[in-house]
Amino acid sequence: MLRALPKVAVVATALVIGLAGCGSSSSDAGSGSSSDGGEGGAGGGTISIISVDQSNPYWKAEVATAESEAKKLGYKTTAADHKNDPSTQNELIDTAISKKVAAIILDPAGADESVGAVKKATDAGIPVLLVNAEISEQGIAKSQIVSNNAQGATVGAQEWVKSVGDAGGEYVELLGAPTDNNATVRSDGYGQIISQFPNLVMVQQETANWDRAEGKSKMETMLSAHPDIIGVVAGNDEMALGAIQALKDAGKLEQVKVLGFDGNQDAVDAVSDGEMVATVLQPIVEGTTEAVKQADEFLKTGKTGASSEKQAIDCVLITQDNAASLDNFVLSE
Amino acid sequence: MTETSARAQPTARTRKPVNLNALLVEGRALVALVVIIAVFAVLSDNYLRPENLIIMTRHVAMNAILAIGMLLVILNGGIDLSVGSTVGLTGVIAGYLLKGYEMPFTALIAYPPVWVVIIVSLAIGSLVGLINGLLVSRLKIAPFIATLGMLYVARGIALLITDGETFTRLSGDPQLGNTGFLTVLASQPLGIPFPIWVMVVFALAFSLVLTRTAFGRWLYATGGNSRAAELSGVPVKKVQTWVYVASGFCAGAVGLLLTADLPAATPQGGSLSELNAIAAVVIGGAALSGGRGTVRGTIIGAFVIGFLVDGLVIIGVSTFWQQVIKGAVIIIAVGIDQVQQMLTARSAIKKAQVKTPLKTPEAVGAGA
Amino acid sequence: MNQGDVVLRAVDVSKTYGVTRALKGVNFEVRAGKVTVLFGENGAGKSTLMKILSGVEQPSGGHLVLHGRPVEIRTTNDAVDLGIAIIHQELNLAPNLSVRDNVFIGRELLTRAGTVDRRCEDEITAELMARLEEDIHPSTPVGDLRLGQQQLVEIARALAADARILIMDEPTSALSHSEVQVLFKVVADLTTHGVAIVYISHHLEEAIEIADHAVVFRDGELVAQRDAEGLDMDWVVRSMVGRAAEYDFRDEQREHGDVALSIQDVRVVDTSAGGRLAVDGVSIDVRAGEVVCLYGLMGAGRTELMEALSGRDQVASGRVLLHGVDLKGRSIGERIERGIGLVPEDRQRDGLVQLMSVGANLSLASLLGSIKRLLVSKKAETASIEREIEDVKVKTAGPGAPITSLSGGNQQKVVIGKMLLTDPTVLLLDEPTRGIDVGAKGEIFSLLFREARRGLAVLYVTSEVGEALTASHRIVVMAKGKVVAELDPRTTTRQEIMSASEGTVEASGSTTSSPDSSPIGATS
Repeated sequence: MLRALPKVAVVATALVIGLAGCGSSSSDAGSGSSSDGGEGGAGGGTISIISVDQSNPYWKAEVATAESEAKKLGYKTTAADHKNDPSTQNELIDTAISKKVAAIILDPAGADESVGAVKKATDAGIPVLLVNAEISEQGIAKSQIVSNNAQGATVGAQEWVKSVGDAGGEYVELLGAPTDNNATVRSDGYGQIISQFPNLVMVQQETANWDRAEGKSKMETMLSAHPDIIGVVAGNDEMALGAIQALKDAGKLEQVKVLGFDGNQDAVDAVSDGEMVATVLQPIVEGTTEAVKQADEFLKTGKTGASSEKQAIDCVLITQDNAASLDNFVLSE
Repeated sequence: MTETSARAQPTARTRKPVNLNALLVEGRALVALVVIIAVFAVLSDNYLRPENLIIMTRHVAMNAILAIGMLLVILNGGIDLSVGSTVGLTGVIAGYLLKGYEMPFTALIAYPPVWVVIIVSLAIGSLVGLINGLLVSRLKIAPFIATLGMLYVARGIALLITDGETFTRLSGDPQLGNTGFLTVLASQPLGIPFPIWVMVVFALAFSLVLTRTAFGRWLYATGGNSRAAELSGVPVKKVQTWVYVASGFCAGAVGLLLTADLPAATPQGGSLSELNAIAAVVIGGAALSGGRGTVRGTIIGAFVIGFLVDGLVIIGVSTFWQQVIKGAVIIIAVGIDQVQQMLTARSAIKKAQVKTPLKTPEAVGAGA
Repeated sequence: MNQGDVVLRAVDVSKTYGVTRALKGVNFEVRAGKVTVLFGENGAGKSTLMKILSGVEQPSGGHLVLHGRPVEIRTTNDAVDLGIAIIHQELNLAPNLSVRDNVFIGRELLTRAGTVDRRCEDEITAELMARLEEDIHPSTPVGDLRLGQQQLVEIARALAADARILIMDEPTSALSHSEVQVLFKVVADLTTHGVAIVYISHHLEEAIEIADHAVVFRDGELVAQRDAEGLDMDWVVRSMVGRAAEYDFRDEQREHGDVALSIQDVRVVDTSAGGRLAVDGVSIDVRAGEVVCLYGLMGAGRTELMEALSGRDQVASGRVLLHGVDLKGRSIGERIERGIGLVPEDRQRDGLVQLMSVGANLSLASLLGSIKRLLVSKKAETASIEREIEDVKVKTAGPGAPITSLSGGNQQKVVIGKMLLTDPTVLLLDEPTRGIDVGAKGEIFSLLFREARRGLAVLYVTSEVGEALTASHRIVVMAKGKVVAELDPRTTTRQEIMSASEGTVEASGSTTSSPDSSPIGATS
């Protein structure tokens, strides 16, 4: 079986891949290696994709992209969710290490909390490439490809401010999970822009844990407290969609402008329909594709090929103008 | 039902139709509710506005319906941790059927009418409960463990069905004859949202079941002393199985209502709602050991939690403090019950205490 | 022998639970080197007083004097520190732990390193077992022991505490005659070493035998006391009830009907004891209108037989016929419907739902009879409940009163009434008079014989010889899972019944001396 595989590339890598292959079906690995053989790489082996929560369309797209990209390059994949729980993430990393996967694509659970887990995998000789979020130390992961949340929040907030007009008024904010770094980054980004307009006053801030149902019920209650708000900025699309439904039920969607973030399909549809002012597309497909490519590059050459470890990809503002050309996180032009 | 603590009960002639202790236990939750309403009414002008009361009650309704099912399980001395996942699963089933599903082995896509969707979803919820019930009553698996396992299984199946997606095409298509899901389940008959009506109907129905049917009596008996119930010919295992079915059924109903409310069927719907349901039951005066508790108390318990949580949002308490306060209220509400029982016992002792001064008696044969 | 020094004295002690006065100003003395026996019906206040002496409960009034000094005993640990140990009526053992661990639980002996000194504990435990003449290894798990042996472990625990005052609350309920004799030897040994013993037993004969001093309680008061001299059953019973026990049903008519219940070569496996046969080939017929007493010691297989008949436990082999119909595979509910029900031995554990009212307890087994259009008809239910309260003479404030407000005797009447409401043709009762005062015992037997006259077949278990003799048409004696004798209460004697129950050779010989009875399954 795999013992007969091409004896190319770095010895250590070959060993890792070979052992990993033992746990999986050999035909797949074989076909992978043969199809990619022409590219001269050490195709085959398994890439472990550790994401946050695949029941959320955004992360589902992240995993789906990584899987298809890895398959294209001749790798097998495993995917798992850590649900933003560092200890679950730790276990998943342990599993990946014991399975001796070729590389790990990780969407980390917390900037500080994930450092140890990444280091553990790196020490075990497995390259870790981070997508979507970063960790607080450099030099451990091979690359950290993040969407520029701060920039995204800025463009989103600018668009939202434009739509609420100069009249000004009260608005509320729905925050993501309080322990999630992105929740803070986005909220700060919104704040920086909106605070430049003194006639826009934030009257309440509530967490809805990235969740649509919670977003709806929090919105309903906040509407009772502040019936005259003119806008909602939400940390992600799910919460924004929940808020929109609450506003619809209360008959106030006309008066209240909602901003989302992520660019998932339901939100893009809502933008098309004019229910949501704008959302911000995180280039998750682009970033994840890049991460897998760099993983492949690293396995073959020992270098990711990127100029620096930290790479920020700018977010794209989705408004009614370009919503139609977006399909499942991919902007077709 | 009749509930009592042996100590606080007078032994002699108290011919009272309502049990005093029962009133106290339920009264405690009611007092908590009144205090909560009063405090928030003072802190926010908007709290007592009818629209807000309706919104808060709708939030309460979902939890209350789950809690009624949970009450039955707890009366039996069990616990059902799987209801939150069952909510997610049934919601997803409904969404899956409404968006149309491919018939196996054919190229056809089926669009079942809404009533079929509702019946199938409720049946799936009940089926999850039935499995729980059989695991507990026949295989003698501890309820905590059986339903904990089901918590993961049901959530996992929901994710498998949706593949992680959220179903949003729920309004149906007149041409396909599957409209009405949202127009009915998210409607507001007489200005009151549908979930509140469902809560009222469930509360009345289950109240009747508990107080007036043989099943209800058997449930209290098995929860109070299952060995005695068994020897009295009560079909203990059947009772145990059916309470889980009832709980699953309630979860199915909530799954449908939640899906219609959003309107979207998400596989993570209902996460952690089992804990709110348990809290409502316990605040409502039920004993986790079984045999004691009422639908009325449970509904009040659900209101205590719902009105508290929404009230904290309305007055803008920080998210972190909200959690602390919610937890503290649960503990205090149940703690008061214990303190109250201790105080009743102590005051009874005091009252009856014969005043005997501690005098040193005449020297008795010292030491042996 | 002299009177012995008073070591512990209760002065004007009273105890109130809510509005119930369990003790009303009792003065009580415990003497060194003497056995003080407490007599009294259930609820007379004996156990309450013992709880106060051992620190389980605090007195509502009055105080305790130990060695001449007033003391407060706030916890059981206080009591142990003061040299007072109690053997509780209910076993307080951890079945998963070894004999040694149970003996030293809560006051483990430690080595210098701070770990449990098992070797030392083992030695002491082995000594205690030798003293109690039981061949039990210290590391045997308590759960593997017979009930009687478990009770001995409980006793060993109290002995290990090296108490100066030892309270024994019903220590012999699960012991065989020979074990009781060993215990009495130990008690005698302790008293010669100056230990004061306080002894409670419902087994009057036994208690009289061991008493140096007798004290009788009634309604929370100490009503009579005397020394061993002149102490007899008659005095005790008269003091306890205020009048002598008066029930004797030996002269009841004995025109019985057809066989209602036929037990044929039944075997029951004791699942808790590794497949041992708890009931080993028992055959008994009970006719309509007949009251049959099943006498035997604890562990003779009586309870197992009753539970198997009720449908709770499985019959391993043999047949049980109810009016000729095999009950095999029938659930408890189905059996009750067909007319056979069990009044269980442990009222609190198996008989009552404590959270429910008197009425709800009474109607529990017959609820389906009150169903009108799916709902329980309050009217029908209340009518039958009230009729039954009247019929079995339950003294209660009303159907809505909590079951826990009733006395033991009245609670038992509720359990019996519950089964009678199902219109049974065969009624099984396991120790129906356990923990019930003499007055209520008489009432319960009157009730059973009245129902028997109306055609009910009654099979009840007892461990009191007096009951077997005076309240049955026929006595079936069980020992070690087998029927060893069938006796006629009119012709047999106390001695004969008791020796038969020990399962000895002379017992089986004595069966022939009862001409009236025709032993069915008497063997071995």
